[in-house]
Amino acid sequence: MASKWRHLLAVLAIFGLFTAAACSSDDGGGVSGGYTIGLVTDTGKVDDKSFNQSAWEGAQNGAGNILGATASYIETEESKDYANNIQLFLDDGAKIIVTVGFGLGGATIEAAQANPDVLFIGVDQWQNEALPNLVGLMFPEANAGFMAGALAGMLTETNIVGAVLGTDLVPPVVFFKEGWENGARYTNPEVQTISTYHPGGLDVAFGDPEWGATTARQALDQGADIIFGAGGATGNGALIEVAGEAGALCVGVDQDQWFTVPEAHPCLVTSAMKLINIGVAHLIAEAYAGTMEGGNYFGEVGLAPFHDFDGVVTSEMRSTLEEVMAGLADGSINPMP
Amino acid sequence: MKARQRQLLWIAVVLIVVLACSFYSANGPQTTAVLAGTVRAATLLTLGALCGMIGERSGVVNIGIEGQFLMSAFFAFTVTSITGSLFMGAMAGIATGLTMGWMLAAMAVGLKVDQIIAGTVLNIGALGLTSFFYDGSRSLGVGKYTNIDLGSLADLPLVGTVFFSRPPITYLTMVLLVVVHVALFRSVWGMRTRAIGEHPGAADTVGIDVLRLRYINVTLAGGFAGLGGSYLALEAVGTFSRGMSGGRGFLALAVMIFGRRSPFGAYAAALFFGFTTALQNHFQLNSVFDIPPQFVGMLPFVVTIIVVALSGLMGSMRDPAALGQTYEKG
Repeated sequence: MASKWRHLLAVLAIFGLFTAAACSSDDGGGVSGGYTIGLVTDTGKVDDKSFNQSAWEGAQNGAGNILGATASYIETEESKDYANNIQLFLDDGAKIIVTVGFGLGGATIEAAQANPDVLFIGVDQWQNEALPNLVGLMFPEANAGFMAGALAGMLTETNIVGAVLGTDLVPPVVFFKEGWENGARYTNPEVQTISTYHPGGLDVAFGDPEWGATTARQALDQGADIIFGAGGATGNGALIEVAGEAGALCVGVDQDQWFTVPEAHPCLVTSAMKLINIGVAHLIAEAYAGTMEGGNYFGEVGLAPFHDFDGVVTSEMRSTLEEVMAGLADGSINPMP
Repeated sequence: MKARQRQLLWIAVVLIVVLACSFYSANGPQTTAVLAGTVRAATLLTLGALCGMIGERSGVVNIGIEGQFLMSAFFAFTVTSITGSLFMGAMAGIATGLTMGWMLAAMAVGLKVDQIIAGTVLNIGALGLTSFFYDGSRSLGVGKYTNIDLGSLADLPLVGTVFFSRPPITYLTMVLLVVVHVALFRSVWGMRTRAIGEHPGAADTVGIDVLRLRYINVTLAGGFAGLGGSYLALEAVGTFSRGMSGGRGFLALAVMIFGRRSPFGAYAAALFFGFTTALQNHFQLNSVFDIPPQFVGMLPFVVTIIVVALSGLMGSMRDPAALGQTYEKG
């Protein structure tokens, strides 16, 4: 009797494993016979309230502008699945495939070489050699970080600004950090910058809000009064932690996180934005129209509105910020000297 | 505990206090920040270790702590979001942990499934279910648990911030350490629990219902992991995000083994793990050493391997004899 039960349970367990495996790459929507736009995320999630979410919004907007087009996504659970997930969309007959994140760079190039008829958009993927059907959507993150840092340098009262970051294995995160620190020093030579990267690998660095929160608290305890949280859910954890500290400020990343992390309203003064959604939608339109050129395309960055902190940012600070932005635009300020 | 071990322990404690004091006089805020970070990072690991410990002392391996954390965090978050009450959320988290514990017991004790498989089912199930049902537009609505100052104790230098200005679940964890210690080593229940983990056959002959006690213990232990999940969502982070437990359930097992399956041992081990995290951040924040963060990040794991291997070699660390075995009434 006992062994019968055991067999039944074994079957159930195996069934469970299969369903779980099927869940692990969940499709965002039904794939029809029409014009399909596929999006493959990095190990972050499509609702990470920053990077991947912004790209997914772009893909949806891009599809919305094309009659009969549908967008769907696959979330990558482990970095070994990059190529498989791209292949799933190829097998589905996708016309445009967006791969999101530095980590997918290699797999995207291989897929683009093997499938010259499909157009690829690689977010944060620098193209050394231009392929006709692959465009890398790049952003000058250092500029965005510099603007946010410049504001932080003016806002800090303790003269200590902190940053809680994803991993230094991903170059855009490094650019954000360097820009942020240099920006703070630019407007406030007295400032002390304290920054830390997540110690884990690509698989966990952007999905660890507990570490982000603990680390933000440590920076606050050391006297920081404005903290930059840049690293998916990890950074969101930092923002929410800062929100619990009276008088402290925080700066979001990628999107205007006022809308994506409402828990951070008490501290969120601005966000260092990469306009990924606009960039992706623009490139999809180009790809559909047949005008997409291979190589690299630079999207825009900027600061999000100050929302509740509109009154805190003085007109003096605003004019300094405008000078900084102009300097960055004409190249007279180098965000990463 | 042998006299010699006790001696070593006291030497270690004195050394830590002296070091902490001297660092504090050198740089107060930074020392406070590191030690506060240490205590904070230890809470979740301790709760997980308590869950694992009660199971293993009764002879049942629980590698499903990770899944219990995640599922409990999900329900704690969702219930708080709906009711607007952190307390209700925390209760829901504990109830989820108990339910997950009961499921593990039903599989591993009742149906005599391989315990490792049963735990794995919990982990995979929790990841899949929470990922599927998580609604990204939901937020906690109320702020997360904030620090409660314990009167004038909180004003003490260093220890005030580190131990006496903490949020509620952290205090509760410290109380539970004492409760579990007393229960495990000074009560009839504890003696029976250890007996069914060491020699279930002998326990059976003196009239202990081995399967029933294992059932109860594994279910109850789930409550600790459930509290850990509530801590994660309501006290540590203040939101839910998919896969947010980030392997801490497995780390808790390492902490439990490192701490020799005793509550205070586990807390010491958890503090050590927390300390390496805090120290790693400290080094980076203040640019003390220019070494990759990943290097310091791996230190606790390397130390665990060394400690476990050394104690294995010296024979001073031993698993409960009946650990991982199903018990068939003979």
